[in-house]
Amino acid sequence: MNTDATNTAQSAPKATKTAKAGSSTPTRDFAIRYGFLLLVFAIVVYFSIMADGFASPQSAVFILQSVSITGILALGVTATLVAGGFDLSIGSVATTAMMASSYVMVVMNGDALSATLVCLAIGILIGLINGFLIVYMRVPDLLATLGMMFLLLGLQRIPTEGRSIATGMTLPDGSVASGTFSPSFLALGRYRFDFVIPNLVPASVVVLVVLAIVIWFFLEYTRFGRMMYAVGSNERAASLAGAPVKGYKILAYVISAIFASIGGILLAARLGRGDIASGNNLLLDAVAAALTGFAVLGAAKPNAFGTAIGALFVGILLQGLTMMNAPYYTQDFVKGVVLVFALVFTFALSGRNRR
Amino acid sequence: MNATAIFRVENLRKSFGPNRVLDGVSIDLQPGTVTVLMGANGAGKSTLVKTVCGVYQPDSGSLTLDGAPFAPASTAEAIRAGVVTVHQNINDGVIADLDVATNLMLDRLTGWGKPVLFNPFRIRREAREVADKMGLTVDLRAEVADLPLADRQMVAIARAMAHKPKVLILDEPTSSLSSAEAERLFDLVERLKAGGVAILYISHRMSDIRRLADRIVSLRDGRIVGTFDGPVLDYEGAVNAMLGEIISHDRIEVRDGGDIVFSARNLTLKAGRKPFSFDLKDGEIVAITGLVGVGKTDLAETLFGARRVVSGDMTLSGRPYRPRSAADAIATGVFLVAKDRSASSIVPDFNIYENISLPFLKNLSLVGVSARSRERERARAQIDALGIVCRTERDEMFTLSGGNQQKVTVARWLAEPARLLILDEPFQGVDIAARRDIARKLRASADGRATLVFLTELDEAFEIADRILVMSEHTLCGEHINRNLDMERLLAEISGQTMTVN
Amino acid sequence: MDFTRRTFGKLTMALMGAASFGTMAYAADMPKPFDDPGKVKIALVRYLSTGDFFESYLAGVTAQSKALGVDLRVFDSRQDAALQSDMVDQAIALGVKGIIIQHGLTESMKAAAQRAVDAGIKVVAFDVNVENPKIPQIEQSDRDLARLALEQAVKDNGDEFKAGYVYVAGIAPLDRRNETWEAFKKKYPGINQVAMFGTMDNPIANSVANQARSVVSAHPDITVMFAPYDEFAKGVKIAVDEAGLSKSVKIYSADISTPDISAMREPDSAWAATAATNPALVGQVSVRALAMLLAGEDPGHNVVVPPTLITQKDLKDKDIKNMEELSAKLPQFAQTDVAAPKWMPVPKGK
Repeated sequence: MNTDATNTAQSAPKATKTAKAGSSTPTRDFAIRYGFLLLVFAIVVYFSIMADGFASPQSAVFILQSVSITGILALGVTATLVAGGFDLSIGSVATTAMMASSYVMVVMNGDALSATLVCLAIGILIGLINGFLIVYMRVPDLLATLGMMFLLLGLQRIPTEGRSIATGMTLPDGSVASGTFSPSFLALGRYRFDFVIPNLVPASVVVLVVLAIVIWFFLEYTRFGRMMYAVGSNERAASLAGAPVKGYKILAYVISAIFASIGGILLAARLGRGDIASGNNLLLDAVAAALTGFAVLGAAKPNAFGTAIGALFVGILLQGLTMMNAPYYTQDFVKGVVLVFALVFTFALSGRNRR
Repeated sequence: MNATAIFRVENLRKSFGPNRVLDGVSIDLQPGTVTVLMGANGAGKSTLVKTVCGVYQPDSGSLTLDGAPFAPASTAEAIRAGVVTVHQNINDGVIADLDVATNLMLDRLTGWGKPVLFNPFRIRREAREVADKMGLTVDLRAEVADLPLADRQMVAIARAMAHKPKVLILDEPTSSLSSAEAERLFDLVERLKAGGVAILYISHRMSDIRRLADRIVSLRDGRIVGTFDGPVLDYEGAVNAMLGEIISHDRIEVRDGGDIVFSARNLTLKAGRKPFSFDLKDGEIVAITGLVGVGKTDLAETLFGARRVVSGDMTLSGRPYRPRSAADAIATGVFLVAKDRSASSIVPDFNIYENISLPFLKNLSLVGVSARSRERERARAQIDALGIVCRTERDEMFTLSGGNQQKVTVARWLAEPARLLILDEPFQGVDIAARRDIARKLRASADGRATLVFLTELDEAFEIADRILVMSEHTLCGEHINRNLDMERLLAEISGQTMTVN
Repeated sequence: MDFTRRTFGKLTMALMGAASFGTMAYAADMPKPFDDPGKVKIALVRYLSTGDFFESYLAGVTAQSKALGVDLRVFDSRQDAALQSDMVDQAIALGVKGIIIQHGLTESMKAAAQRAVDAGIKVVAFDVNVENPKIPQIEQSDRDLARLALEQAVKDNGDEFKAGYVYVAGIAPLDRRNETWEAFKKKYPGINQVAMFGTMDNPIANSVANQARSVVSAHPDITVMFAPYDEFAKGVKIAVDEAGLSKSVKIYSADISTPDISAMREPDSAWAATAATNPALVGQVSVRALAMLLAGEDPGHNVVVPPTLITQKDLKDKDIKNMEELSAKLPQFAQTDVAAPKWMPVPKGK
């Protein structure tokens, strides 16, 4: 028997501490935190060398504009991911908003303001319904929003019997729609602000940046955002800490749907018409951006900054590849590789997986 | 040590990164013997168990089973060889969405050469045999998810028994069992021991150890620091070896408390059960003890507004108190350190200070914008006060040991002044050192509030409470001052043999 | 074609939604089974339905069906090849007399079409080769479409220019248009294709716009964009406008719709010309060919609906603002005598 009774009682817990935190090393920590950003940087450098005209302010703005719509959707879906949910309906919310704004202006001869307000109202309503289904009817989030996705796919076609909306279209009652897209509405998709170079930054990019900052600030620096993370990470703990869990969850779906409807407004403004479309590609790209964002700064959780970087990264890749004449299927492939890579980065390397 | 050892661990080493968790551990297990492994949280017990049962591969050292080298590449391999482990985390041992019968037979459904077709009748028949042998009384068709924790644990152990193991490793198997259920487990362990199984039993509970141990091995900082055997075991020596210090057994200084802070009148927790009343005074710590499932958690949640009162009245500081939600309760100064910290308290994605400030973010933020510097300041104060072992207040929760995690959840609610602080099983899965730290802090800060602690373990109640109330069948049935108390009556009340009238 | 005023009125009413109103009055002139057309059920089994072209095609099918007074059932598989094949069987079970197969994959539709033929049902196929001699193939001539647009491009820009090309392989009409493009590049070695791109990601115009913008910034010297599908052309136009290159780039495309017309009519629009077969007309011809088969007549194995070239100048000079005016002011676009025997009622207008 060899009892060593000289140490203090604290020594045992101390050993615990060092043992469990031990699986990380400085290099590994660095790779996890900055690896993804370095990769983005490396890709930018690569394209700047390989593709003429890639490294220019115009090109940068193009990238931002091409990701503005999916980026806005991705920021919205980040809110639901933070609250521990998921929103599959964002793509069809966006196309529904696009159809609704076109309908208000082209068929009902409405102005830009009413079209925008109608879209936002639709977004809020859909978010509330999603939240209600998930929180009060206890439908699992994926299923509820999947249902909403199909519902909206059908609903957006009902008023026009499946036709796309454009000035001069024939309505179901045989008359011809006479309204037009108001110029101020189209400006949302087409106006450019002067920034260093005249006519550089499109309005949609400004909307993206503003929304990204708003949601980032909300999630990181307000107590509501923090509680939303708590709800997503441990709902019961949040509830026993006095948080109105149901309210936060519904709020997350409302945020997601509002962002999606803003995306839809910008889509309508860019296309100048209400195009029948499923929006599934918007959904997939947005979700890919949000999930890619997990890897940024080693967050290993949904976060607005990561989502923005994720969206940007996909945009940079597509811009660069297109400039180098890569066909569309290689782009899907690359998107997939990025996502898988980011997820491996997040789940295998970051040590979040608890032993 | 003993030539008849069936299972031998020799000089086992295992590191994670630069940290050596097992630093040359050697243990022998003899057939028909219960060897108890004691160790504070973080001593390396779990790593040892996981290395022995094939989850981790050792860095060096050897394992011998029945004289042959034993190097399991997976748990399945270890199980086939006859080394079976029942893990501490109950839900690791059962699949919640399957029924009891399938759970019991689960290991017969996997592996090469097993029948492809699933015959539910045969499975149920065989499961019945296993259950009968174990004295398991749960409905075999029930889904495990619907069973209480204690029954799940019994299923997990029964499932391990189905393998007819040569070596059985039980990792804190009684931590969520009531005494009656623990007694069933002990019977079973003794039956297996009589049948020649070598048993490694990991536990903190002295009552278990006294009841079962043939030998005690103490582990500290990844090394064996003491082996105790012989006809009379030196329990104190074992505990001291494990902790590396002499634990004082001073009784606490019992206080009588000041003004009445909280009172409940004719409270009913469940329709048809007897109403009960009690008062809680300023500065005193009251423990409510009783078996698992007698309504302790129901009462805790009722006081905290997380559960509806069936009937009765409550007053807090002389005013009627009827919280409709946890938020209500918190706003009036009633806080709950909930049972089962990983399910109910810890936000795993948050670090220490974010976990501590969770309920009081409103007070810590300006117009909704959170002030992280103030949060961190508060967390640092709590880390010092409770002796939380960590690098900084920004450490992630999963880097902390169980005891330190529990300290964080207690710190969360000590950070603001409470009128009534409720703690539901605050010492579950907490090593003795951390448990004493928490108890000391609770007693030191008790003035200015009433404190109510729900505990299944009587030892823990003696350690912390001024007054002990006994709960049985969703009502209170006894009251004791923690000073020369009548143990016989207390035990009788707990087991429901006497029903005192209020 | 000659129309009586009453036929015209009737058809207009039919178009207004008053289906089968007064159809019986002319029943006596019609060959069997159209002497009692209400009992003739036909099915349209679709593979593609999203986009102006397909909407307009459906409008043509509907209009011609109403003109005949037959009972039209529409099955829409939304790009699900297996479902489309099942839908043919559903139509057979429904007891239809004729089926129009609209797009699809040869592999999945060949057997399904054969089953329908075996069940005694008359079948025509539009833009999908079902490899069956008993099934007339309705075609808009994709090669002619591409040829008309490209001839205009050469006429406007000479035979030496730098071109961007939008193409997604594996889609039959685009593949046929691509053959013409390849032939043109051989014929005019001065045509230099500096970029090829394209995607079918939904919404197509938005996705193509993103790509096209990358292309024009990489190759600002492109003067001609050949986008032989109007959704592509719309995307390219958005990109060209956004890049401020609408005066230096000309877009040549195929297909047309009301929004396309307004896009072409915009001041300084880069969209110079498009070659189009009136999709509604193709829809009408599909039904008419089927009706001829049902009446025991032979429309021929290849029923080709000829395309029309529509230039920005045409639209502006004739003040054409939508498809109705296009049909009215470019008569070759509105009508065709393909598959139109004397007895066949023909809808007027769109």
